[in-house]
Amino acid sequence: MSVLEFFRDDNAPRTGNQILSRQGRILLVIGIIGLAAVGPVAQSIQPFWVNLLVRMLAFALLALSLDFVFGYAGLLSFGHAAMYGAGGYTAALVVTQVTPNALIVLPAAVLVGMVVAALIGWLSVRARGIYFAMLTLAFAQLLYVVVFTDLPATIAGIETVTGGDNGLYGIGAYELAGVGLGDRLTYYFLTLGLVALSLAGLVRLANSPFGRVIQGIRENEDRIEFIGYDVQRYKIIAFAISGGFAGLAGGLYVPFQSVANPGLLHWTVSGELVVMVLLGGMGTFWGPMVGAGLIVFLEDRLGGVASWEVILGALFVLVVIFAPRGIAGTLISLRDDPSGAVERARQALQNYVREVRD
Amino acid sequence: MSGNTIEMTEKDTNAPSGAILRTEGLTKNFGPLTALEDVSLEIPTDGITAIIGPNGAGKTTLFNTFTGKHAPTDGEIEFDGERIGGVEPHEIVRRGIVRSFQITNFFSALTALENVRLAAQARYSGFSPSDFLTHHASHKEPIADAEQVLERVGLDDVATETASNLAYGRRRHLEVAIALASEPRLLLMDEPTAGMSPEATTETVELIEDIASDTTVVIIEHDMDIVMDISDRIAVLNEGKLLTSGTPSEVQSDKRVQEAYLRGGGHE
Repeated sequence: MSVLEFFRDDNAPRTGNQILSRQGRILLVIGIIGLAAVGPVAQSIQPFWVNLLVRMLAFALLALSLDFVFGYAGLLSFGHAAMYGAGGYTAALVVTQVTPNALIVLPAAVLVGMVVAALIGWLSVRARGIYFAMLTLAFAQLLYVVVFTDLPATIAGIETVTGGDNGLYGIGAYELAGVGLGDRLTYYFLTLGLVALSLAGLVRLANSPFGRVIQGIRENEDRIEFIGYDVQRYKIIAFAISGGFAGLAGGLYVPFQSVANPGLLHWTVSGELVVMVLLGGMGTFWGPMVGAGLIVFLEDRLGGVASWEVILGALFVLVVIFAPRGIAGTLISLRDDPSGAVERARQALQNYVREVRD
Repeated sequence: MSGNTIEMTEKDTNAPSGAILRTEGLTKNFGPLTALEDVSLEIPTDGITAIIGPNGAGKTTLFNTFTGKHAPTDGEIEFDGERIGGVEPHEIVRRGIVRSFQITNFFSALTALENVRLAAQARYSGFSPSDFLTHHASHKEPIADAEQVLERVGLDDVATETASNLAYGRRRHLEVAIALASEPRLLLMDEPTAGMSPEATTETVELIEDIASDTTVVIIEHDMDIVMDISDRIAVLNEGKLLTSGTPSEVQSDKRVQEAYLRGGGHE
């Protein structure tokens, strides 16, 4: 896909429901250029901020991967931490045992994320709605226990594979074409570039014939089978694609932190991720990325002020009341009708009070 | 009173036209409940066949076994000479049996054109790299097919409207358009005129007759005026069994049908 291809609109208005308008794409590119400029500035003021930026980007990618299945295909996955952790551990193991070459490690993380997702998907897609969510949660927790207890080492009869509850640490930096990527700022640019590419790739997928079918599954799963589509197969492939991007997020995050611990796979990560997608505005792709960046930022800034879960909970309640369609939905209605913002907020509060009273 | 194979051949010709669909001893149980019992029936390739019967007679279950939603408990279904019992619904659609639904059952948030285009797309796309990496709008055939179908059912002026915004009668036409976009050889229509105004009903009847000119049509219909008017053959189901089948006049004069279903003159 060429850069120009990304801006083409074809006759999208006739078929409608296109992910990202031309205007939205231009704004996104400006945003990415802006982020590229923020890196060096942050580095010169407070180098630690670059760490925060990389973490925000990694979670933005993770939230994007979840939005592809949850917001776009309608599959509520409560187990995305499994693919994230699998990608992260794969990166850690390949870097320490095989090679720090990013061109090998990152594709390996993507591949393992896809395989884990395909397996979980294959075992779960026959269930629907909340049952699907519960199955993905169960399989993700299963993988968490496997990593936490270092089951692979027990089976293979060797001392350690995953490092058990300690995890793996002292993971070296990536290399690309013989150049080390240990420098924070270089790594930030690598991450930004890959996140931007992932977004472009998923936008293209969402607007492809395949993407249209999974959008149809979200809209009416019962009917789409009777117009000739193999629903289970489409779901499993969508889930595997999403898992690949979640694995990439893990593969980007772990070597940067130089630690892989079982916490990566914990269900609280999956839960926080669902909150990120809802807060950002599901089904829009850019919304959940903004939501993820915001939550990671707030967690870092406010984590010391009060218990983080309390802050996150309060924030979530506010979003549910005032912006049920998330940050993205609020921004879109602000653009369409800026003057009605106060009225909408009043209406939302009224509705909420009425709901609670009845 | 059941189990006998009833030959349904074209009434006015000597040359027997073939049957596109044939069931042999078709039985479907849901636990202890028998929804269909030993139904042997042939749907001729030409014309319109109506399936009638009181509520709970097994009409919708019969459609569900034809479309692969339910695998038969016993017996055979043959479509165009091939067994289709137990074949997956999406595969059956690709072979040419398509149904429309009684309740409006489409993709509400998508445009009318996209609803139909999605159905047309199934005939062109699969899992090749271009199905993942190209823009859907760059595939012209499904769009052209969808536009043609919308024109045929008279919805071309609302192609870009969101489906949920359409008026009731037009929604029902969209429902039929989605089914037509799959290019069926056998179209199963579940109460296509249910809840329609008299004018919309007339329009729909004309549409069904137009479709029947090149497609085999089977309808489930409660309005006996419509059934008598448009069908070439009628099959009567009662309590999961095939009571009888034949031309409208044969069925109308059948005593058992009158007892079971057409009590009081046959018209609702």
